[in-house]
Formats: sequence, structure tokens, C-alpha cells
Amino acid sequence: MKSIDLAALLIGLVSLSLAAGAASETPATGGNAANGKRVFVTDGCYYCHGTTGAGGGIAGPRLAPNPLPLEGVKAKVRTASGRMPVYSATVLKDSEIADIVAYLQSIPNSTDAKDIPLLNR
Amino acid sequence: MPRRTKQTKDERASLDRRGFLKAAATLAGTGAVAHAVAAEAPATAVSPERHTVQIASREAEQGTPRPDGTTQSSCGSDFMVDVMRGLGIEYVAAIPGNTFKGLHESVINYGMTTTPSLELISCMHEEISVAISHGYAKIAGKPMACMMHSTVGLQHGAMAIYNAWADRVPVFAIVGAQLDASKRGGYVDWAHSVFDGPALVRDFTKWDDTPISLRHFAESATRAHKFSMTPPYGPTVLAVDQELQEDALKAGEVPVIPKEPKLAPPRGDDGAVNETARLLVAAENPLIVADRAARTAEGMRLLVELAEALQAPVIDIYGRMNFPWRHPLNQTRRQALLVAEADVILGLELTDFWGVTGNRLAAGAKRISISSGDLYMKSNYQDFDRFTPVDIAIAADAQTTLPYLIEAVRKLTTARQRAAFKTRGAQLAQDHQETLEQSRAAAAVGWDLQPITTARLCAEVYEQIRNEDWALCNGTIFQNNWPQQLWTATHHHQYIGDAGAYGLGYLPGASVGAALAHRKHGRLAVAIGGDGDLMFSPGALWTAAHHKIPLLYVVHNNRAYHQEVMYVQMMAAKRQRGIDRAHIGNTITDPNVDFAKLAAGMGVYSEGPITDPKDLGPALQRAVAVVKRGEPALVDVVSQGR
Repeated sequence: MKSIDLAALLIGLVSLSLAAGAASETPATGGNAANGKRVFVTDGCYYCHGTTGAGGGIAGPRLAPNPLPLEGVKAKVRTASGRMPVYSATVLKDSEIADIVAYLQSIPNSTDAKDIPLLNR
Repeated sequence: MPRRTKQTKDERASLDRRGFLKAAATLAGTGAVAHAVAAEAPATAVSPERHTVQIASREAEQGTPRPDGTTQSSCGSDFMVDVMRGLGIEYVAAIPGNTFKGLHESVINYGMTTTPSLELISCMHEEISVAISHGYAKIAGKPMACMMHSTVGLQHGAMAIYNAWADRVPVFAIVGAQLDASKRGGYVDWAHSVFDGPALVRDFTKWDDTPISLRHFAESATRAHKFSMTPPYGPTVLAVDQELQEDALKAGEVPVIPKEPKLAPPRGDDGAVNETARLLVAAENPLIVADRAARTAEGMRLLVELAEALQAPVIDIYGRMNFPWRHPLNQTRRQALLVAEADVILGLELTDFWGVTGNRLAAGAKRISISSGDLYMKSNYQDFDRFTPVDIAIAADAQTTLPYLIEAVRKLTTARQRAAFKTRGAQLAQDHQETLEQSRAAAAVGWDLQPITTARLCAEVYEQIRNEDWALCNGTIFQNNWPQQLWTATHHHQYIGDAGAYGLGYLPGASVGAALAHRKHGRLAVAIGGDGDLMFSPGALWTAAHHKIPLLYVVHNNRAYHQEVMYVQMMAAKRQRGIDRAHIGNTITDPNVDFAKLAAGMGVYSEGPITDPKDLGPALQRAVAVVKRGEPALVDVVSQGR
């Protein structure tokens, strides 16, 4: 593991805790989840965060389930640091961010690890 | 000299074996084409004959070929074989090249038919030959040899040599050479001649030489072996002249093979070691960080002993199998937190101390380094990483220094401190368990997703191997280190780290080399590697099939050179040009690569592409059964990016 990994890990830890903390207070964005999924996958969020925002380890932190609220995601997208690119409104519209958040909000909670035998070895 | 423009059928038929090999090897200089010529030579097809005629003609016109057709009862290259096996070398990886044809012939007709055997491992590319040697050495604890053609062969192998250099791994490389220009044949011989071949890789090898006598060869081989096996380990190169290989020994002149000394790696200065112990014992929050620290199983045992003596947390950078993955003091996933609160950090064979600590140190915290990297470093390729100020830099081999450090720690520890350490250890054990639960919860996210998550992939692999004596042959950074998070590994041989320099094309060869070393121990060798990496050097699969090297190769097929997508996105976003085209040049789709077919085409049992996670376990189970029968198998898994 090199320096980039540590930085990514830090970002990941912070984001994970934010995601967990936001679980019960995420308001609806009014976005279009179907279009959000399209943008998430075709515009490349998927490459680092996984197709459902499950996270990609050092590449990108987990985003869902229980994503950040819209304003939090927007702030992250507009003022990203480290390996996360900054996406201006020219590249990614506010409405598209709202759609992405709607998509992330639509992702259900995962199965409890205790119920997966392979994760209890 | 008669000028010939065409060779008759009788003349072609009269080519003796050595002459034929020379023509074939001279024609191509690469194994693939040489094989093609060898296969086509007996036929009467027009096209191949024409090539042969041209080469023969050019040689006749331009060169002064050495007299062939004579027989000899001895040769220099047989002696070279004896030197290599005297050094404990058991295998030579190579694709053919005419500048080492004498040595090639000696390996197969002398080395492989007498004991102790020196076996030739047939390869498809010099990069694979070196990577096999790289992976083998990390398990065998000693180098194997690899032979490369003088110019084009070494150029092919150079990147893999750089990986071995950056990974501090011994590789005993030999390149052929035709030093006497008057003995070179046609234009191919000249294109394949170089005055100072090893210069190409001198910036990232420990040592090289071009011996001009057999005694010189024996001494330089012994010297190369000694240097490569003295920490920091590294690759060496010998350029070996064709005449030296091919000429008969003079009567009664068999050179002496030097005795290799018992190697004693350098240990740290007593004063510095004692000061380190004093700081560690007095520290409230000591932290041990290990990268390529445990060269052998003994190194891992010693690191456990040190950590337990201090009840100090250990961060494993995963350069080697340094520390058991489920040991309560293994706190690798808590690196950021522990670095921030540490008052003394001991770095063992770290190549990137800055990457571990950066500017995140607590005020007054001390950094101590024990590294053989301080003993030998070069300038041009800058794999020495960012400068990091340390308080004590002990230029020594960490593993060799550990017993002295442990002894000093034990001497300095008071009963009261021991009680405090115990309390610290109990808390760390609890933290370790909590971290494990967090990892399991994270692995459960997207458990049934398609493409399959890397967590699911790794958990499914483990399910099939966990009751075997398994050995993972890849670094795990691109699989989010899931094996270290979810699996239990207690033996040094169960993990070998990554490529060293992150040069793609490493894993196919390196995993075959590691599996070769595991074979005699009956271990179940497993590699999980990316599709992009496999596309660089798929020919390694053929070598595994050809030599019946048991290896389970699981393709983490995310259908992209995944690492780079975000960088291109970053550029595109910065320039306000949209991010919808960032996949171009980064993805490996349209068409998707069918790795199962690719493997099957080389005689390897294969499954896939697996897209549904419920199909993965059964496919792996079938593949493991094949591997347990002594053959390689590949499972292609369409996966999430990381």
C-alpha cells in the first residue's frame, strides 16, 4: 500500500461515517432515480464507486446505501479534493446530481453480514 | 567465398542439427518465429524455403560463419550448468535465442538429464521468464535463472527486471552475447549484437558482468548470486559470450567452481538498536509498520515476537507476509488513526515511509527506520520514494536486526510497563475484532450485485480453499485488500506481495513462478489478477499448462484499465469538456475478452465468464478440483472495478 492508498483510505473512512450518520435524515431530492442510474453508470461514477455506490476501496468510498444528503453530495462533487475530480455545472448539472442522489437513495440496505455464511469464516 | 543465391533441396537436407538450429534461431531471434520455422522446415511449401534461402545467402555474403558440423565431447556451457546448480539453482526460464543456444542445449541435454536437475521452463516472452523468476524467488527464498537473447530478449525482459528490482527480489539473469565481431554472421546477428548489453538494465540491477573466460564466469556467477542474495535483494545480469558457451573445454582445464560463502545479512548497530528499544518501551503509543520486512517465515515469527513483547499495534503494508492477518495486534485497517496518535513509529523495510505518516504525526513523535534500502540505492530510477525525516535511520536488514531489538526490549521492560502493555494489548484485540466486523459489514454491501463485487469474489475464493494449504500469489491492492480483511493467513508462504514497480504484466508470470515453487510442497496456489494485467502476458498460462504447474488463476475482470479512468475524468472535468468519453482508451470492451476461451486455447481448464454471483462458487469448486489434480485452471469473473 502506498501513499495514495492511505489518502484514499482516509477519504473513505470520513465518507463512510458521513454516509452512516446521514441514514435517517436524507430528504428526497425530487430527482429522477432512473436517470441518476444512467448518469452514474455512463458518466463514470461507477468506475470508482461501484455500480450501486457500494464503494471501490482505494479508488472511491462507499456512497450507498444511506447516501449523503443532496447538498452534501453537491458540495463533494463541486469542491472535490484528492483523487476525486471536481465536476462543474458545465460538466454535471445540478439536476443530474439530484438524479444521482435519488438513485443512491433508492438502493436498499444490504444483507446483514451475520446472515452471510461466507462472511463468518 | 562462393556467392550463393539459392540453396538446392539436397543442400537444405544436408543441414545438420546444429546448423538447422542456428539458421532457425538466426532467422527470428524470437521463440515464436523460431518455432514456426522449425515446424515448417520439413515441408516443401514455397514461402518458408524462401526465407531460409535468403538468410543462408546473406550469411554467406556478409559474415564469417564459424565452422559447424564438428563434434565435441565437452563445452563451456556444460560447465556453466554445473556452476548454476552448484549455486542451488533448480530452474531456468527462457524462450530460445541464438546468443545462448549453447547454454540452452547444455541445460536440456546435460542439466535436465543429470542430477541435481537444472530444468528449463519454457516461456512465451522474456517478460514472463523474468516474472516467473521473480515470483519463484519470493517463495523459494532463492533465485532461479532466466536466459534472454542478447538485445531484443533483454529489451523484452527489462520491465520485469525493474519490477524485481523495486520489489527487492533476487533474479539470476543471463543474456547471450557475441563479443567477437568477426564471428558474427548475417544482418540478424548484427542487429542482435551489443557491446555492453547489461547497460540497458544497469540502473535497476544490483550488479552485472561480462565474463571472458570460464573461470571468470564461475567467479562472476558466484559473485552475482552472493550480491543478489545479500539484503537488499535484487536482480543481477551476466552477459555470456557465445564462444565461451559453445567452445570445447581445453584438455585438463576444467576451472574450479568457487565455494559460495554462507551469507550473513547486515544487522543494526548495537547503540542504535538499544536506543530504538528504549524509545519503544517508553512510548505510550508505539506503532510498528512493516513492508518487505519478513523475508522468510522466521522474519514473520520475529515480528510477532516483537509486537507481542510490546503489545504494540502492527500496520502491514503488504509488501510481504509480515504478520498474521487475524492476529489481535494486526491493526492495518486502523492505520490513519494509529499514525496520528503514535509517539514512536518503527518502520521496517519501508520503501515509502512518507506514504505511511506524511505530515500526520503527533507533535514530538519519533520516526525510526530499519532498512537495508539505505545500504544500496541508485539514482536514475527514483523508487526510493519521497524524503522522510526520521530520528534514527538504521541501515541494516530488519529481519536480521529483530532478535537484537527483541532482546533489548525485553531487558528494558519493567514489570510495571509489562502490565501496562497487557492493558494496551487487550484494547487492541477489541479494536481488531471491531475492525473485522466492520470489514464484514462492508463486504456484505452489494453481495448479490452484478458485476460481482470484489468482496464477494474474494469470499467465494476463500470458501473453496480455506481448508487447504493455500497460498495467495498476488498483491491485493486492486481487490481492496479483501483477502487480508476477510481471510485467515498464518503462514509466511501464504502471501508474497505485489509487483514492486506496478509494471503491468507481472502477475501471470509471477504467479506461475510462485506456483512452481509451491508445487513441491503440495500447496494450493491461487492468484487473483486483473484482466488488463493478464492481457499483457497471457502466454504464462501456456507455461503453466505445459509444465503442469498447479495454479488457480481467478480473473478480476472489470473490463478496463481501471486505475486510469478517474485520471482521465479529472482531466476532462478540469477542461470542461464533459466526462462521458473518459472511458475511451481505458475500457476493454467491444469486444469483451473471453478469458476462458483464451486459457482453453492454451490447454488450461477454464470457467467463465461468470456474471451471476451464485454461479461463482460452483465454478471455483470445479476449478480447484482441477488444480488439486496438478494442473492450472482459470476462472473468469466479471467484476466490479475494485
